[in-house]
Amino acid sequence: MDWGWVFGNIGELASLAARNLYLAMIPVVLGLLIAVPLGVLSVRWGWVYPPVLSATSVIYAIPSLALFVFLIPFTGVVGTTRDLTLIIPLTLYTLATLVPNVVDGLRSVPEPVRQSATAMGFGGLRRLVRVELPIATPVVFAGLRVATVASISLVSVGELIGNGGLGFLFTDGEQRSFPTEIYAGIGLIVILALAADLLLVLLRWLATPWLRSGRRAAPTPGQTA
Amino acid sequence: MNAFQSAWAWLTQPQQWLGPDGIPARLVQHLEYTGIAVAVAALIALPLGLLIGHTGRGSLVIVTLANLGRALPTLGLVVLAFLISNGSPAAVLVALVVLAIPPILVDTYEGVRGVDPDVKDAARGMGMTAGQTLLRAEIPMAMPLILLGLRTAAIQIVATATIAAYIGLGGLGRYIIDGLSEDNYAMVAGGAVVVVALALAVQVVFAGIRRLAVPAGIRQQAQAS
Amino acid sequence: MTKRYPGSAAPALNALELEIPDGQTMVLVGPSGCGKTTSLRMINRMIDPTAGKIFLDDQDIQQVDPAKLRRGIGYVIQHAGLFPHRTIEDNIGTVPVLIGWGKQKARRRARELMDLVGLDTDMARRYPHQLSGGQQQRVGVARALAADPPVLLMDEPFSAVDPIVRTSLQDELLRLQAELRKTVVFVTHDVEEAIKVGDRVAVFRPGGTLAQVDPPSRLLARPLDDYVAGFLGFDRGIRRLSFFPARTLQLDADPLVPDRTTVAEARTRAKESGQPWLLVTDPQRLPRGWVPIAKLGELPVTRTLAEAPFEAGAHTFRVATDSLRAALDATILSPSGQAAGVDEAGRVLGVTSYDQLLIAIRAMTAGAGHEPGGEGEPA
Repeated sequence: MDWGWVFGNIGELASLAARNLYLAMIPVVLGLLIAVPLGVLSVRWGWVYPPVLSATSVIYAIPSLALFVFLIPFTGVVGTTRDLTLIIPLTLYTLATLVPNVVDGLRSVPEPVRQSATAMGFGGLRRLVRVELPIATPVVFAGLRVATVASISLVSVGELIGNGGLGFLFTDGEQRSFPTEIYAGIGLIVILALAADLLLVLLRWLATPWLRSGRRAAPTPGQTA
Repeated sequence: MNAFQSAWAWLTQPQQWLGPDGIPARLVQHLEYTGIAVAVAALIALPLGLLIGHTGRGSLVIVTLANLGRALPTLGLVVLAFLISNGSPAAVLVALVVLAIPPILVDTYEGVRGVDPDVKDAARGMGMTAGQTLLRAEIPMAMPLILLGLRTAAIQIVATATIAAYIGLGGLGRYIIDGLSEDNYAMVAGGAVVVVALALAVQVVFAGIRRLAVPAGIRQQAQAS
Repeated sequence: MTKRYPGSAAPALNALELEIPDGQTMVLVGPSGCGKTTSLRMINRMIDPTAGKIFLDDQDIQQVDPAKLRRGIGYVIQHAGLFPHRTIEDNIGTVPVLIGWGKQKARRRARELMDLVGLDTDMARRYPHQLSGGQQQRVGVARALAADPPVLLMDEPFSAVDPIVRTSLQDELLRLQAELRKTVVFVTHDVEEAIKVGDRVAVFRPGGTLAQVDPPSRLLARPLDDYVAGFLGFDRGIRRLSFFPARTLQLDADPLVPDRTTVAEARTRAKESGQPWLLVTDPQRLPRGWVPIAKLGELPVTRTLAEAPFEAGAHTFRVATDSLRAALDATILSPSGQAAGVDEAGRVLGVTSYDQLLIAIRAMTAGAGHEPGGEGEPA
């Protein structure tokens, strides 16, 4: 492994990493924005969910390269819309991961909690936003982590159609028979993915103060049970 | 012309179906790579997953592996294997195996962990040895997840073998890679369609296996959860 | 402020007509599936009736927006349904915030309520999972009371906690009601709880019709049919005694002897009054224990009773506030067959015997025709 090369090209590497992150995170954000309403609908109208679930399982099965390829006639490999060739499929993958999570998270809200919210006069939307979604947060975050890590990694496959963020290091390294570049590419992608994962864990910790506190508090002396 | 029209045009050319470069030949190659890689990965990951799941030790390994497995860029790994082995196809297969291990290992572990402790307790109470408990109680109950892991691995390999055409591997990926370099979109699209068909076929086959291998009671229970 | 609900609802109920008086606890009791929970949930429109109307203060609740209606009605359920993602004080303050109070005001109110229901305000910033089941139920009650609704609906609120906690929660409810006088509609399947907690009890039949609606003492005295009698359980008679005050008992001061009395004096006293047992009291007139006359014979005459061997404590009942049932219970447990009636400070006023109890019980059953309507507190 030629560390000299690494340090010599740090600028280029950073810029590739930034591009990789950009191409990976847009789909995650878009996916989240679509998955939440879709998940809510799937819970509200149960009949929506089975077809949605089948769709997600089909999407998962499709190899990423094939999906990128299918988009080429629409968004191309050069020009202003070429990023969409990656972003749209990756958004679909994110959706496939997140919708089941949103649904499971909403379903995990205990029935007494939902009942008491309604009984206190929460309308449907208010209850969703103030009670059900917050409680579903940890489950949704679990899905976000998976989607983010996968997304960051899959961007590199885009290099085969000329737009792959850090994936460039793989094709370039192959052409030049230069393993260092490959190691750098793999290393950076893994680091990026794990860093993003950690960040999400932190965000989840911040967003769920009620999960932070310790276990059962004993009744203070003189207090009835 | 969109992707499917192009693909159709190409697929309906009879010469695509003949000879060593024909679809059937390449399909067989692809299946060989997938089959071998999944088999080898299963040979390693299934016993390991059962062991770690049964004893409950080493779960940290599992979690790390799950994350790593998702983060590792498939293109990078395949190119790396190719380069450092000086172009040996066996090395590329090794890379495929490495990528197939995490899903099988993680899902097998989860499957065994997820078995109701009461069931294990009852089995022990009836006088079953650890081995018998594993064989008669835990494995059947873990089947849905074990099969899921195998299915995920298989689909992952179908996709990665497609990508591995970049470094010269045969199989269906050849159409996509060669098509891209020759600027023959019809071939690219056609190849992509066949790959997707294969992936979906794998899904269907596994659904069938699931029906056969998982006793009805457990299948329904897993579906309900 | 009364509620009336004529009419029928979902298949669970059948032509129900019930009037719920203001400021009292109405208990709906019956076996599973009898429609009591359905009835309750119709009041805050969680379920809507298929036919019939419900009036809250002469207003048909169908004409009111459900969310608005519910903000004016407290609702307590079995597993509290506290929001796990909010602190205790924010849970309690939910409805106040919903109707427009500021957060600070709501939190202040929350702390007031925590005091009211007997929770330590130090716990205000904790989360529900950190509290015990009993504490969570108290929070549930506090939350229901936060916006000071005139009506409180309680659906088996104490069924999910263990018996000791349940008793203390029931006592808490009685105390709250004495203070707040809300209109409470309380559902339970436990007839003991119904009798303890209710000012009036509505007994449901399976299939959603009413068998009887009466104050608990009348219910025990005069069940309208075999179903109600069976539902009330086998020792109805003894349980009725809970509704009659112990102060009607004649108390006898003869067996009382201060502990500084000598054995000699005690023997004389016993012979004169014909008492087989003496109750020894301390200088404050607190009971120390019973002494059988026979044992006195074995002691040196100059000793005081303070040194005599007592029999297992004195079983007491509070004359002013306890019931005949408590007096009977104490009498049965007492080694002498007599129970000591004490005042608020625990000082002995006199003892009662089986004979006296018999007289009081006969008077009670003879007086059947006027029950102490709703005022007899079960003790």
